[in-house]
Amino acid sequence: MPIKSYIAFPQANKKTQLIKVLESTTHCEVTPSINKDVLVLVTDTENDQQEEELQRVLDNIEELEHLNLVSGFSDNASIEKRKSNQ
Amino acid sequence: MRQGYVIIGFWVVLLIAAGFIVKASLMEEQVLNNRGIIEQHATNALPVEEGVFKLSHNAKEFLELFKHGVTSNKNLVSYRERRAFPGAPPTIPHPTEEAHSMGGNDCLQCHQNGGYVDKFKAYTPITPHPEFINCKQCHVPVKSTVAFKLNNWKKPMAPDTKQQALLGSPPIIPHSLEMRSNCLACHAGPSAPVEIKVSHPDRVNCRQCHALNDNSKNTTKIWTR
Amino acid sequence: MMNRRNFLKKAAAASAMAAAATMIPGILFASDQVDEKLSGNISWTKAPCRFCGVGCGILVGTQNGKAVAVKGDPNSSVNKGLLCVKGYHQIMCTSSADRLTKPLVKKNGKYVETSMEEALDFVASKMKETIEKHGKDSVAMYTSGQSTIPEGYVASKFMKGAIGTNNLDCNARLCMASAVAGFLTTFGADEPMGCYEDIEHANVFVLWGNNMAEMHPVLFSRMLDNRLTRKNVKIIDLATRTTRTSKAADKSILFTPQGDLAIANAICYEIINSGWANQSFIEKHTVFSKGKTNIGYGTEDKFAFKDQAEPIDFEQYKTFLEDYRPDKVEALTGVSAKDIKYLASLYGDPNLKVVSYWCMGMNQHTRGTWINNLVYNIHLLTGKISQPGNGPFSLTGQPSACGTAREVGTFTHKLPKGVVTNKENRELAAKIWKVPYENIPDKPTYHATEMFRAVDRGDIKFIWTQVTNPLVSLPKTSRYRPAMEKESCFVVVSDVFPTPTSDVADVILPAAWHVEKSGMYGNSERRTQYWDQMVEAPGEAMPDAWMTIEIAKRMGYGDLFPYSKENHHEEIYNEYRQFHVGKKHNMAPLEVLKKESGAIWPYIEETGKSTQWRFNSKYDPACNQEKEFDFYGKPNGKAIIWQRPYEPAPEMPDNEYPFWLNTGRVIEHWHTGSMTRRIPVLHQAVPNAYVELHPDDAKQMGIRNKENVKVISRRGTTVLPASINERGMPTKGQVFVPFFDESMMINDVTLDAFCPISKEPDYKKCAVRIEKA
Repeated sequence: MPIKSYIAFPQANKKTQLIKVLESTTHCEVTPSINKDVLVLVTDTENDQQEEELQRVLDNIEELEHLNLVSGFSDNASIEKRKSNQ
Repeated sequence: MRQGYVIIGFWVVLLIAAGFIVKASLMEEQVLNNRGIIEQHATNALPVEEGVFKLSHNAKEFLELFKHGVTSNKNLVSYRERRAFPGAPPTIPHPTEEAHSMGGNDCLQCHQNGGYVDKFKAYTPITPHPEFINCKQCHVPVKSTVAFKLNNWKKPMAPDTKQQALLGSPPIIPHSLEMRSNCLACHAGPSAPVEIKVSHPDRVNCRQCHALNDNSKNTTKIWTR
Repeated sequence: MMNRRNFLKKAAAASAMAAAATMIPGILFASDQVDEKLSGNISWTKAPCRFCGVGCGILVGTQNGKAVAVKGDPNSSVNKGLLCVKGYHQIMCTSSADRLTKPLVKKNGKYVETSMEEALDFVASKMKETIEKHGKDSVAMYTSGQSTIPEGYVASKFMKGAIGTNNLDCNARLCMASAVAGFLTTFGADEPMGCYEDIEHANVFVLWGNNMAEMHPVLFSRMLDNRLTRKNVKIIDLATRTTRTSKAADKSILFTPQGDLAIANAICYEIINSGWANQSFIEKHTVFSKGKTNIGYGTEDKFAFKDQAEPIDFEQYKTFLEDYRPDKVEALTGVSAKDIKYLASLYGDPNLKVVSYWCMGMNQHTRGTWINNLVYNIHLLTGKISQPGNGPFSLTGQPSACGTAREVGTFTHKLPKGVVTNKENRELAAKIWKVPYENIPDKPTYHATEMFRAVDRGDIKFIWTQVTNPLVSLPKTSRYRPAMEKESCFVVVSDVFPTPTSDVADVILPAAWHVEKSGMYGNSERRTQYWDQMVEAPGEAMPDAWMTIEIAKRMGYGDLFPYSKENHHEEIYNEYRQFHVGKKHNMAPLEVLKKESGAIWPYIEETGKSTQWRFNSKYDPACNQEKEFDFYGKPNGKAIIWQRPYEPAPEMPDNEYPFWLNTGRVIEHWHTGSMTRRIPVLHQAVPNAYVELHPDDAKQMGIRNKENVKVISRRGTTVLPASINERGMPTKGQVFVPFFDESMMINDVTLDAFCPISKEPDYKKCAVRIEKA
């Protein structure tokens, strides 16, 4: 159940469009800044597979210039799984 | 020789007179009452009511600074760390030279109006109560972080910021106003903690919208007949 | 829904925001944007505020049929998106646990819930019975400056047109009557000639006895903003006590109660004698007149007074003013000659634009009409009137004292156009109301104070109050509460909440609150504002206008009230508009009111423009365009400069009762507190009333802050905690009490003396004694 938060930087002058795109992307919650061209993005997926898919979607968003990962939370099951995969 | 004494005496008298005049004008003279005229209010009338308008002459400047993002990024974490409990006088976080001075102008030269201080590379917080000049009566430095004896003091939680009765309504004032009636001192300017810095310092009649709900009156939350 | 997942998401978002803050100084995230998204769609609808006479435009946020938020309407030129603490929280009163939702009828001393149908049947039958037994003038209605325009209109049509009695008066008698009488005597036409935009143009604001920072806070903030942005803007506070306004003002001048009469005359003296009088303006646009003196105070039942005007000339007026030379009135006013001359110089300087603002200090005054006339004199002598930033402005206290009480005319002597004593005005009303001309009575009966005295005497046997709380707001409630409790009078009360007035009612009808009905209000600057119903009223609560209509139908007047339940407010407004047709008073059509944030009358339909400054040909097409100024309320187009002397207050401090008692408000509470005390934020800010004392007086009597104190007059006693150097500071020998607290009924102590011309009581001056409780 990874929950992650990012600081998202839109392409020049694309803040409003980026907000629209992210708002319509599943597993995403957007909080724009009211005075700077920056957004906070919180993603919430149910398992690693959805997480990987979401990453791919995010990578392909044109209006997104840059994504800074700030924090992430995993549940015990995924941690165990990753441990066993190593 | 005589003349010299007379001249000196003249200047002494002049100085004393000047002293009286300055003192009187500082106290906002009370008009003579023998013509039945009402005394105009003394300067210490309604301290809490007056406080809200102090620094309002700087209001437009605070607004410009805010719009340009000029900030020291001071936040409530460090703000609260300096206070033993909400409302306590903060400790002095920087070294002070004037060991024998009680404060007064030594402190007010920076803390009355705020501004950037190169020496500490920081924006000075503005005191909401510059009329009290015996600063070191309440504000002391931190000279040691080692306890004398262990202490179980638990710091009470500070009130939440942004307590709004309805969506988008003006947050209430969760702290008492005694000595903290000058809103702009802490809520505006570059040295205001970012969490409580207001976007509209130019609206100087703060208590028009923000009600005092500091629970100091120990009153029930809901009125019943 | 704070489960672990949501908590983690919130924590993640918070860390991201904190990180952003360290990277990008000054960055802000609006947390209420987050809340809005979490809670779904909110729709915003405009309305005027429920509270004071400023008439701010608000936007009410509704969600799932409930009002959940309030913000200022950025489109309203009145407040430009800003409100005050009462305005922001106004919708919260409706969720009070003791909200009235069902009619209550007193049976055998206990209130029994009934259906609305039953209650209305009962009230109508009682009214009919009373008229049959005791005549038309034995029934009365008492409405309000908070009634909507439709509510006031149907009350007037019902009482004056249908039943045929002038027993209709309203609580605006207690707040604006002196302002009205001042306008009519000086200008022949009611309501201010300027508008709020004066604030953007004036250099000097002189506040006469009005704590504007608390009472009209949004306008005061506009003044403060102008002072910050424009050069050469000053605020002068002229008052009997020190308040928040005094602290914000550039200069605070304290004066002795009633001294305002002498101050105004002294300023006129100084203006004339310093050569600041605008001779050409005076000659072209004014005449001089004097009235009776020693006119009494109305404390006796059935007190009657009729003024008599006598024309005089400028020379006689100047001679009269000799007694008011500034140094001669120092002792009387408590103001130094220096300060009076200073005020005069501000008014007299041709390069300074001056606006005078006043409200209850001048209106709730035993010489209220006179002091209104006198401040107009100052502006007429200098020609500083009817221009942007220059003029006298009488502020109102209630949201529709102008729109309903004054413009619809819910007073004993008024009709929607004109007065009952005028034949043409009666003919017009008969025509529009479709009633026989003879129905409309031609003699006024009771003004507010006299109405309740008539209840006491048993002359009125049925009274119906709507949207008001007289048993907290009348003066000398120590007489009028027992009066209303008497068996001889059947009392019907329509209200949203139980109050001391509904406590004595025989029938209580639950009313819809503000946005639970549609309506229109008119504010101080002649701006009419419309709002649509936004939420349903709970239970059987009903708009007051519809209650009146239902009663009228049951009494056989149904054909006079052929309005539909869904749209009655629109139908009524369209009917009412007919009264004001014409250049001087045209009301904007509904389509305009629905679209805009209100429109100022006179409204010119051809251009879609509101008339902001009246009587000035440049701005007011109703003027005779050949004159520069045309005071068209008067037949010769000239305003009257009234010679009015100083006369003392009826009850002044003496050995037995050595203090002046002044009453008023605080920003958090509005009037009798029935709404604002039920809003937790406001209640917690000011939970109870208090009595302000000067620190020296308190010290002398050994009274400490918050100690209980008795305020005693010849009429009653109230116990209140002392307040010393907190919200306000009276002068020595004066105390102040806010009147919002029904458990500390200060009006038990006040005196029901009134201005003989306007009949408005004086709540600001009577004599009391202070004792430790």
